[in-house]
Amino acid sequence: MNTPNKWVIITLKSMSNSDQGQRKTDCTDKRNCLEMLQLILDGEATPEQKANFKSHIDECMPCFQHYHFDQAIKELLKLKCTSQAPTDLIESIKSKISEKPIY
Amino acid sequence: MELEEAPKQHYSEKEKNNIFNNEFMPHINSMYNFAYRLTLDSDDSKDLLQDTYLKAYRFIDSFQQGTNAKAWLFRILKNSFINDYRKKSKEPSKVDYQEVESYYNSEDVDRQITPDLRVEALKDMIGDEISNALNSLDVDFRTVIILCDLEGFKYEEMAKILDIPIGTVRSRLHRARNLLKEKLSEYAKQMGYNNA
Repeated sequence: MNTPNKWVIITLKSMSNSDQGQRKTDCTDKRNCLEMLQLILDGEATPEQKANFKSHIDECMPCFQHYHFDQAIKELLKLKCTSQAPTDLIESIKSKISEKPIY
Repeated sequence: MELEEAPKQHYSEKEKNNIFNNEFMPHINSMYNFAYRLTLDSDDSKDLLQDTYLKAYRFIDSFQQGTNAKAWLFRILKNSFINDYRKKSKEPSKVDYQEVESYYNSEDVDRQITPDLRVEALKDMIGDEISNALNSLDVDFRTVIILCDLEGFKYEEMAKILDIPIGTVRSRLHRARNLLKEKLSEYAKQMGYNNA
């Protein structure tokens, strides 16, 4: 286990133990929230949309949890599903380009 | 081949090599990962990556220096995969192209948080589960997660790479993430989180 994974776990633990009592337990605007959540996670929301969603999740437990859960998955994907090209493959591509100039 | 219809360039050999080394090669790890996640085969991914880079060099005059090289390369790789590799793939596409209509349907809304998949289960998924879950998705769903979550492409760039409208990018991403969560939920159950 490396350091970034630990960090993700800490994030997950801290969100699951947050102040549940201060938020309402049902969301009245799920459809719109789902759409906003995706835009925000993907960095596609406007500053106004971000501000509105932030005040919403301060009051709504399902959306608060959903937001942090989806964010954690997104971070885990990035940590766990990337890879490096094999060095011999990189070298082979470079040499093919240099030996066969195409005019 | 190009993302936008740009006037054809006429680069010297030196310029071509500069573009190739300074604008194309820096994306080789991301490109390799994309090739591997598409083909799910070590040999095919190497061939696909090599074919793509040779093609990129051959069509370099269609690339405008200083524009989005990563998106341009990803589009070539995606097209090469569809034309040369997907045909021999054992797994046909199962994506339902009614997806725009079913965007955020009521079933999805009701399942907003998969009840049996909670953070306590997710935190233990630090092995290969998330990678296996991603690989298990149909290739069209897998692709949008790779482009968005692994590579950080914007919706507009994804639309151009995949030749689909932005609305379809958004709905496909939404469905892909729900499917991924279902898969992770299955793993959670196997790990003993029966009602985590």
